[in-house]
Amino acid sequence: MHTHVSLEPMQEMFIFETLQLAEQLEQRILSSENANSNTASIDEIFRIMHTIKGSAAMMMFDQIASLAHALEDLYDMLRTEQTIEVDSRILTDLTLDAVDFIKQEIDKIQQGKKADGDSSPQMQKVQIYISSLDRNLQHKGMEAATITKTSQQQPFYVSSCQNSGTVKSRAFIAHLFFEDGCEMENIRAFTVVHNLQELCQELLFSPEDILENTDSVKILREQGFHIVFRTRESVEEVNQFFAQIPFSEKVSVQEVGEREYHAEPLVQAKSSQVHIQEEVKNNDPLLISMGKQGVGSQLMTVSVEKLDSLMDLVGELVISEAMVSQNGDIKGLKLHNFQKAARQHKKLISDLQDLAMSIRMVPLEGTFQKMNRLIRDVSRKLEKEISLKIIGEDTEVDKNIIEKISDPLMHLIRNGVDHGIELPQERMAQNKTKQGTITLEAKHAGGEVWIIVRDDGRGLNKSRIVEKAQRAGLTTKQEHELSEGEIHSFIFAPGFSTKESVSELSGRGVGMDVVMQNIQKVGGSITVESKEHIGSIFTIKVPLTLAIIDGMTVKVGQSAYSIPITSIRESFRPREQETICDPSGREMILIRGNCYPIIRLHELYKIQTDIYEFHKGILIMVEHDGKSICLLADALLGEQQVVVKPLPRYIKKVQGIAGCALLGDGKISLILDISSLV
Amino acid sequence: MAENATDLFQEEDTQKGKHLIFALGNEQYGIPIGHVIEIIGIQPITEVPEQPEYVKGVINLRGKIIPVMDVRLRFKKTHREYDDRTCIIVIEVSDLCIGIVVDLVLEVISIDDENIAPPPKWNKDSYSRYVQGIGKVGDSVKILLDCKKLLDEEELLELHTLDMNEE
Amino acid sequence: MKRVLVVDDAAFIRGSLRVMLEGHEFEVVGEAEDGEEAVKQYVALKPDIVTMDVTMPGMDGLQALKKIKELDKNAKVVMITALGKEDTVKQAILHGAVNFIVKPFTAEGLLKVLNKV
Repeated sequence: MHTHVSLEPMQEMFIFETLQLAEQLEQRILSSENANSNTASIDEIFRIMHTIKGSAAMMMFDQIASLAHALEDLYDMLRTEQTIEVDSRILTDLTLDAVDFIKQEIDKIQQGKKADGDSSPQMQKVQIYISSLDRNLQHKGMEAATITKTSQQQPFYVSSCQNSGTVKSRAFIAHLFFEDGCEMENIRAFTVVHNLQELCQELLFSPEDILENTDSVKILREQGFHIVFRTRESVEEVNQFFAQIPFSEKVSVQEVGEREYHAEPLVQAKSSQVHIQEEVKNNDPLLISMGKQGVGSQLMTVSVEKLDSLMDLVGELVISEAMVSQNGDIKGLKLHNFQKAARQHKKLISDLQDLAMSIRMVPLEGTFQKMNRLIRDVSRKLEKEISLKIIGEDTEVDKNIIEKISDPLMHLIRNGVDHGIELPQERMAQNKTKQGTITLEAKHAGGEVWIIVRDDGRGLNKSRIVEKAQRAGLTTKQEHELSEGEIHSFIFAPGFSTKESVSELSGRGVGMDVVMQNIQKVGGSITVESKEHIGSIFTIKVPLTLAIIDGMTVKVGQSAYSIPITSIRESFRPREQETICDPSGREMILIRGNCYPIIRLHELYKIQTDIYEFHKGILIMVEHDGKSICLLADALLGEQQVVVKPLPRYIKKVQGIAGCALLGDGKISLILDISSLV
Repeated sequence: MAENATDLFQEEDTQKGKHLIFALGNEQYGIPIGHVIEIIGIQPITEVPEQPEYVKGVINLRGKIIPVMDVRLRFKKTHREYDDRTCIIVIEVSDLCIGIVVDLVLEVISIDDENIAPPPKWNKDSYSRYVQGIGKVGDSVKILLDCKKLLDEEELLELHTLDMNEE
Repeated sequence: MKRVLVVDDAAFIRGSLRVMLEGHEFEVVGEAEDGEEAVKQYVALKPDIVTMDVTMPGMDGLQALKKIKELDKNAKVVMITALGKEDTVKQAILHGAVNFIVKPFTAEGLLKVLNKV
């Protein structure tokens, strides 16, 4: 029977599970490096390596499998030898190197390329470390390479267990080999003997020490397994028994006469042997300690596509509900029962929507943990001592947003390590602690999530920034003519860099301007506060979710525009004389002692409308990042939840427009991006 | 992804040579049927500010937001009021979905390669940049358009700079 | 059609076993992640064959084998092991495991063992 089953369909699962395990592994080793490895971590890492080894071997990714195997051996050694002294740094380095290799290879596999990496350099390092640990151990004879423990069993020798009866017993000589690659041939031989003994009065075999001597495997491979036995079974039954041995080949079973039987060397040797009973371990304690998995996980894995489709459908459902309940056909009609049912309908859909939204929300934990690794690597490289404090990592953010802010965040932190935190000597000279601290904090604020990156480093150097800005042509003013805020904002301008030489780590071209752009792409913003020699605080603000927002829809001519409710401070109809003009012709309005600039939406977007007098239209005060302005529209159309859709690619980007939304009546409104209008 | 390619292949095979013919004024144009997603009657278009003149805005097609181009304006012809014969042909070109407004949709017709002549020499003022070939069907001539070029913005930029330089 | 209960803490291995057995005279009727679950599933499903991973957190394969054999002395359990576990496999055979297969294995190897159970 030739079955050719490829495990290719399992590749995605392999990638998913292995990546998950690699992440777990990374977390474990990083947290235990600081806490000075404990037994639970060693155990967990050992198990993870074992699982990765097994799966990788099945998928025939041998480089990954052997590397995992080497680490499995190392960790096995650590968990069995309690007295070993381990250098956590070395152990962590070795483990992280392996994690990196595995991730690298999986990346290649994911992209359809060959996993052609060579893990022998990493493996070698592991083996060298294992040998050094070996040397440090007191007792000899511990081979880290093979985990075969010395068996406490007595040589296994089957004694006859059947009574002599009237049926004549036959003598047989059998010889067989085990198939190449089936492994554990000695145990296979043992299994044969174990099963055969029940049928025999006498059974002898060679090689004899199949259980305690792993060399027997070699003999089995080279010379095969030799069995001599006496049984009352028929020839057919004996043949059937041998035919049923999996992985056996070149099987020969011969019935022999008594003379031949007694002439058999095995039988000869037997007479000088002492029968030893087989020993069965009866007292194994039951291990009932629950692993992390417990009794059947309460979690499930779902494909991302299905999730996205689900989200889209829920979004469409929200719109279609509005299209039903706000339908022009029933406008003004008194439909009592219908309204009741429609209200219930709306409530159910609203609950569904809340649930769907919560599915999209993912804690920042994963992203923050990645920073752990980043900081360790970068600070090691630059010989700085830095600790990372994480606050509020369980804060949840829309999964789409997380994907997009991960890179900017990493860059920010890389910058903090590179340019922010000083070298230990420098810090001490300033009476600071030798170890610098970077704090990563996340919290909810209004309709936004704030991610704050704080460092106690050298802070932003205003003079240098101004100098750089002048040289880059970003300003012609002198330092004293600029406010601190303005100076600090220069670092986000394109074409700017505060380091003379482009640092190897921060790289060329990925400046703070790119960080800001990426954050703005998700509708967020970034600001900085800094004090020289004390440190800097970067605050990233992103909207809680991209998908559905509460919007106030306004009419401008024939067009509809939606403004996120979270940006609106108030809306009102001004009186004719309240508006004023400043010297440059900009219109403003005075409210409770403060002056706010006015933007006429019809002018901004060249829309035809009849409303151009303030007192005939409506002013909406909007705020972003502490700045407020007023927008002039024709009228308010109403507040509603709208599903945000990006403007189609073909449409040129318009400043001030974040996307578009489908309204209940099927019309399209353009969503205003307040951050770029203020 | 691979599935789509094979589908496309097959489609192209059975649809090879088939063109959707529409009219702008007195002239008839054709686009390969493979690009056509659907044809709908004219509907209200939501304006989007700061777009080229020929981009009229966007429409809601069963929940999907599709940009709309007025081909007349793209070809620098005069604007014509939309009436009940005006149609929007929704086409898809390299993952971009766009609707084009035409005066009239006529028919789907097969034109063999041998009946297609190469496009006339490039003339910056007319629409000839977008022409893939000239198809001969009986006595009439259909101007076969290159959809990709129709959507290409870079070209527009060139056109624009050229215009500016000429001034 | 023989009914099989697949026991292994790695979802990948369980999935691979399914893929390998598909189309042959074996039907995977259940899965378990650890020994405890395996025993429960055995009682609930009464499969013809159990493939049992030797190393699992919590209750391991050997323990689960013993428990299952206690409940049903005719249970047919095939151990799935990695190299280096000779001792445990031997114990398993002594406690009634019908056979074993070593990771990594191919579909051919797996079917060979299961067909001869």
